[in-house]
Amino acid sequence: MSTPSGNDHGTAAGATSTGGQTPTSEASGGMTSSAAAGSIRDRLRSPGAQSSGGDTRGSDLSGEHFQQSDSSQQLYDNGRDERQLSHSSPPQEAEIQEPRAEDVDPAAARAAERLVSALFLMSFLGVIGFLVTYVFAPFTYGLEKHNQLFNPLLAIFMAMALGGIGAGAVVWAKRLMPDEEAVQERHPFGSDPDERAATAEALKGGLDQTQLPRRSLLRNTLLLGAGSLALLPVPLLFGLGRFQHKERTLATTGWKQGVRLIRQNGTPVNRNDLEIGGIESVFPDVPRGTKLADSAALLIRMRPDELKVRAGRETWSVDGFVVYSAICTHLGCPVKLYEQQTHHLFCPCHQSTFEADNACKVIFGPAARALPQLAISVDPEGYFVAQGDFSEPVGPSYWERPS
Amino acid sequence: MSTHPGRLARLSPYVVVLLGLALVGGLYTAFLAPQSSAQEDPAAAQSMAVKAGRDLYLSGCSTCHGLDMQGGSGGPSLIGVGEAAVVFQVESGRMPLAAGTVQAPRKKVQYSLAQIDQLAAYVQAHGGGPQLPELAAGDSLTNGDLQEGGELFRTNCSSCHNFAGAGGSLTYGKYAPRLEPASARVVYAAMQSGPESMPRFSDGQLSVEDKKAITYYVRYITRAAQPGGSALGKFGPVPEGLVAWLVGIGVLVVATLWIGNRA
Repeated sequence: MSTPSGNDHGTAAGATSTGGQTPTSEASGGMTSSAAAGSIRDRLRSPGAQSSGGDTRGSDLSGEHFQQSDSSQQLYDNGRDERQLSHSSPPQEAEIQEPRAEDVDPAAARAAERLVSALFLMSFLGVIGFLVTYVFAPFTYGLEKHNQLFNPLLAIFMAMALGGIGAGAVVWAKRLMPDEEAVQERHPFGSDPDERAATAEALKGGLDQTQLPRRSLLRNTLLLGAGSLALLPVPLLFGLGRFQHKERTLATTGWKQGVRLIRQNGTPVNRNDLEIGGIESVFPDVPRGTKLADSAALLIRMRPDELKVRAGRETWSVDGFVVYSAICTHLGCPVKLYEQQTHHLFCPCHQSTFEADNACKVIFGPAARALPQLAISVDPEGYFVAQGDFSEPVGPSYWERPS
Repeated sequence: MSTHPGRLARLSPYVVVLLGLALVGGLYTAFLAPQSSAQEDPAAAQSMAVKAGRDLYLSGCSTCHGLDMQGGSGGPSLIGVGEAAVVFQVESGRMPLAAGTVQAPRKKVQYSLAQIDQLAAYVQAHGGGPQLPELAAGDSLTNGDLQEGGELFRTNCSSCHNFAGAGGSLTYGKYAPRLEPASARVVYAAMQSGPESMPRFSDGQLSVEDKKAITYYVRYITRAAQPGGSALGKFGPVPEGLVAWLVGIGVLVVATLWIGNRA
């Protein structure tokens, strides 16, 4: 085979010439093997393959040969042999490759070498430029002044550094390294029949050694013991959390009677703080209160005559101030998008819309229940306090939800 | 010019009176009113502004809001909305309203800053309401603690206006606008007055210092240069990931195919 670099693969010929002698036509080859064999057969039978081989090896390597081969050594040899013949798919002229300019002209090879070296040098300069920029370039970032060039310079130098190595390697491989195409065939995936028979034998022998076929008492007690394991998942149907649910953790929050409403920064909210149309995110004034995920609430002030007080909730609001859970009853997103003119509370996740002036009734979206309301009152110093926990469990529905 | 003695004699009393007035005025400004010599009397300037604002109001606003700001068929009453509301609505171009839509859109501004101040003074003088803070010389509305402003913005503003001030949708076609085009005064006035759907943040909730910090932070996130290149609308990881996957990986795939073809 004429590879321009002069690499010689001819030594594999001896092994392959014996390959096709023992056809056993087993089905063990399977789909992949026969499919592969088909394509190989096509290639090997093309006129280019035979003529380039220069001897009878091409006809020896028929498709059957690959399907039935029974030794991996042989297969590997076939693979090497095939590698020699693999240029044959476009006939004749393609399979003898034109030598590159670099292969015949030392000047062209030197030019290619210089190009690759220049690319590697560019990579070096990129590294230096990156480091210099990173250490010495002024980095200011702000509203008034900003070094617009800092990040672009870093990007350009990094592109030089990485791209130089990459492009250099590609040019190097393409113009200087030996130009050849090589194909290595895979061997079939199945084990050979002898090995499989031996394995089956060993498994059968193992069953006999356990004596289970003979000793029925052993067998039946094993079935009973192992089979009863299947009963273990049954309690899962009734839930693993009976003890937890007695404490009603899902149904309660951090709010308790007399707990002050505080802001995120910990300051309590006075009744004089909000104007009409104002809102405030509030949390219970308990340890780690602002971190309690289920206790976040929204304090809203509207004109008292705008608030439609529901029967039974007359004492829950103070002079137009109402507090609702800020956790959507659909999937638990924070509901804090309040429109002060329409009194809509809007969940940004799935567009559930609640009427804050009407006990947070759902008027749009997938939420199934109104947002729970927190009953509030004012302590003698004028700060808001909770009358107790929320009217019902907050957040999305769950299995054991009381209502 | 011909110097006729008779005419000169007739003019001389006026000259004397003028000179006398100038002398008295000069003495007054030199000795009796040294404070107001530096600038005009603020009360007088205020009343001038109110007067000018009244003219602007009557010609530009009264058709909808009524001759006495009592409101009318087209617009709500302006009594008690304060100068903050005027600054927000007029300086962002939302007023005068072009057409009745679900929400007033930002438009080209119709009044100069001086005219807006006059309108604001007029509205403030008739009914009061939320005001912008008095700024000392050298102070500004963006003079605040950036980090504190960021905390407050994320707590109070980001649920509607997005973490980067890119805005977002509300119910029934309403929306929280993008904050990038808003001037510092408009940002501050919006918090102060609570325009349209937006809740109002009183000084009891967010102090003047807090609001200055928020204003500074809003200007910072919307106006500061983007160190990472295009912000992709500042909608966060979704468009960024989309661009990374479609554009970035796409370019890589095309490059790989190209290299494979050339090999």
